[in-house]
Amino acid sequence: MNPEHSHNVPQLFYIFALISMFYMAYNLRRLFTIQIGKPDSRPFNFLSQLYNSLSFGVGQKKVYSKRFTYASIMHFLIGWGFIELVFATTVDFFTARGWFTDYLPGFDTPWFAFINDTGGIMLIAGCFMALIRRHYIKPNILPQNNFSGRGTFLGDSGILFFLIFLSIGGFLTEASRLAIENPITAHWSWVGYAISKTTSLSNWIYLKPYMWWGHAITSLIFISLIPMTKMFHVIAAIANITLTNRKKHGLIKSMNISEIMENPDSDIENISLGASNVKDFSWKQLLDSVSCTECARCSSVCPATRAGKPLSPMKIITDIRDKLYSETINNNKTDDLIGGFISETELWSCTTCGACMEECPVLIEHVPTIIDMRRHLVLSEGKPPTQAKESLEKTMQNGNPWGFSKEDRLKWTEQSDFKPPTLEEKNEVDILYWVGCAGSYDPRNQNIALSMLKILETADIDYAVLGKEETCTGDSARRLGEEYLFETLAKQNIETMSKYKFNKIVASCPHCMHTILNEYPDFGGNYEVVHHTELIEELISTGKLKTNINSDETITFHDPCYLGRHNKIYNEPRNILKKVTNIENIIEMKENKESSMCCGAGGGNMWHEINEGERVNVNRFNQAMETGATTVATACSFCTIMMDDAMKVTGNENTMKVQDIAEIVSDSIESSV
Amino acid sequence: MKICVLIKQVPDKDSKIRINSDSKTIDSTNITNIINESDNYALEEALLLKEKHGGEVVVCTFGNESSNGIIKTALAKGADRGIFIINTKPHYIDILNVAKIITDNIKSEKFDIILSGLQSDDSGNCQLGLLIAEMLNTSHASLVMSTEMIDDSTIKVKQELESGWFQWTELNFPTSLTIQSGINTPRYAALRGIMMAKNKPVEKIELDISGYTPFLSLEKLYIPSKSKETQFINGAPEEIASTIVNILANEIKVL
Repeated sequence: MNPEHSHNVPQLFYIFALISMFYMAYNLRRLFTIQIGKPDSRPFNFLSQLYNSLSFGVGQKKVYSKRFTYASIMHFLIGWGFIELVFATTVDFFTARGWFTDYLPGFDTPWFAFINDTGGIMLIAGCFMALIRRHYIKPNILPQNNFSGRGTFLGDSGILFFLIFLSIGGFLTEASRLAIENPITAHWSWVGYAISKTTSLSNWIYLKPYMWWGHAITSLIFISLIPMTKMFHVIAAIANITLTNRKKHGLIKSMNISEIMENPDSDIENISLGASNVKDFSWKQLLDSVSCTECARCSSVCPATRAGKPLSPMKIITDIRDKLYSETINNNKTDDLIGGFISETELWSCTTCGACMEECPVLIEHVPTIIDMRRHLVLSEGKPPTQAKESLEKTMQNGNPWGFSKEDRLKWTEQSDFKPPTLEEKNEVDILYWVGCAGSYDPRNQNIALSMLKILETADIDYAVLGKEETCTGDSARRLGEEYLFETLAKQNIETMSKYKFNKIVASCPHCMHTILNEYPDFGGNYEVVHHTELIEELISTGKLKTNINSDETITFHDPCYLGRHNKIYNEPRNILKKVTNIENIIEMKENKESSMCCGAGGGNMWHEINEGERVNVNRFNQAMETGATTVATACSFCTIMMDDAMKVTGNENTMKVQDIAEIVSDSIESSV
Repeated sequence: MKICVLIKQVPDKDSKIRINSDSKTIDSTNITNIINESDNYALEEALLLKEKHGGEVVVCTFGNESSNGIIKTALAKGADRGIFIINTKPHYIDILNVAKIITDNIKSEKFDIILSGLQSDDSGNCQLGLLIAEMLNTSHASLVMSTEMIDDSTIKVKQELESGWFQWTELNFPTSLTIQSGINTPRYAALRGIMMAKNKPVEKIELDISGYTPFLSLEKLYIPSKSKETQFINGAPEEIASTIVNILANEIKVL
């Protein structure tokens, strides 16, 4: 045995350690409450699961966000300080027993001594930053009850004090050892070494057993309490991250309603449609709720929360967790989940923009969970928001939420010199142009569709539209929880498209694009779908479309959520803008790309309004105004309507223009002729 | 309490109406059929009364085969059963005969309340509920804007009169009420309701209307031709104002 590594650990310690481990394991039952959830099969790919765990879990990839610099530095210090100390303790566990001592460093190995002390200092510094944030900076989005919360022990601040106490204890124990053993490399343990010089050797000899036992006992108490304190996230969040299917992250799951309806054994009166209680969620959704660490980043970026609407995405997740614990470990009688913990207006305030999911460091999927509760309200209770009810009924009757006649789907082309061919006439084309309900019926969006016709014709594209055969894709219906209507529409569109041959679908509305591209495959519809900005960029870069730089306008681009965050298309619209205006005329809003703020219309909010709070579209429009740009460019039917409305509401019709990228490109072709 | 709701299928007002070459019927292709607007409010009122005071809601329609859809929707929303009088020879039939047909087929049910929409959006007779009341010799009220049960066999209703006047009336059962649109907020047909509706009974009665003597006959159905046109006045505010003054003074001659 290498004497450098050996130090005696009293037998009694192992008894305490065993008790501590047992108590921790007992408290881990919090994690196993998720068993009451529904099955949720997911592909298990060892490598991708390992990647999740290492990069997003241990590596804390998403914790580091440019929108939360202070908290990112703070968590870096605490997180890596803690990981270092766990590493040091693990190494010590082996070397103290004389295992692997030829390979492992000892406490007096210079580099190991140095990083151990640095880890301790990082942990203390990070905890102080966190305390300053909790008690002096006090961001009002954070829970304000610092010594309770999470239904757990010590709260948010208590655990910080505990960690500081633990680290100081570690340093004192180290200092006493250094003072007594006085190894030649002692100065590498830079903190412990400095402390060891503060008092006499005889004092250290007297203090050492107290220091050692004090630190040992606090460490064991800490371990035993992990599942009961905020530290639980090191277990629950890493489990959640590891089991996340990142390919399908944030996507809404289909319910297979036709199967439920056709199954003669369905217990119609009692079958759960959507989620009204914790047991209606999948175990993964419940694991989401258990792993929430209440960092409140979701709520800080949520357009509804920021506008003072009743929704806070974090509250939704923690309400589910609280209800879960009260139904399982605490066995309390509590209010209903919906109507008690969570109000209906909270659920209806969500625009499904995905900002919460983009920021969540532990990969929680808020939106599908909110949709599941909306499904319960609509499918089980028949209670969509009053205003949205009408648009759902109109979609059901006429195939579009405005309620115009199916026969008028091509009426917008009456204003155009170009008459788009239909697939019914051509049967086979290269590109199916998906006009969408907005492009077909909304006067503002008809102009975008007309611009697209001009672009398609000018670039000599072999294209066609579905015309009267096109029907709503069901985006709003699905996000309003009306899965039955969505499924009906999806199947209808897939059936229509199966009659014809085309290579690619080009959609003007990112909502249509997202639905056909990412949601129709569940119903057997697999298509190559691109947004019109992707097509236009390709046409310009291959020289099929020639544009002029003709604009003196300064332009700011508003990223539509379903183009950007949900489908990661950020560069194409910007590349197009660079071709039609001088690069210095393009000004970014402070919140752009991944951190773009929603226009307020997503998630079916186009069709109803939560009156409480400010108007989301006006908030976003004001952000565009702050850039000083003269045009807000966008690339989404709903965004155009919302920005246009905000422009009028704020009285900026003479100072600002709202244009779709397609309109801007179409104008720049004109000037080249 | 046994409530009957008379419902009718009508073309959606946004549908493109085309007249068949016989000039007497509507081309039903490409027409979206919906439940008549005020009937939808009548149905909701019946469901609300049932939820509050108990009883049974029966929906009844007289129409061609395709009217099945509105019966299903009504059952999905919460009606208990349906009576579907199928018009096997769908051509024009006057409202008095419609009232007779419906009365013949529902009188054995001995309903306490018969609710119907104030008027149908297609033919707009505004008479059905009242004709049936006369035929069944029940009390009746039209243009009902709210209802309130007084006791087991009396209902108090608020009726709309002209120029902002209202009238409150107490009626004894059996009674027939025609409901004004806007009286409540009709509910949404939930999937659970749609699935449950499958097991609810619908009594189908096939009826040949040639057995009824027509009281009125239909001469011709046509789409009204446009006689008025909207004129847009463009220009600066001053120009617009002077143009309007000119029109008011010289064309309409009100100044």
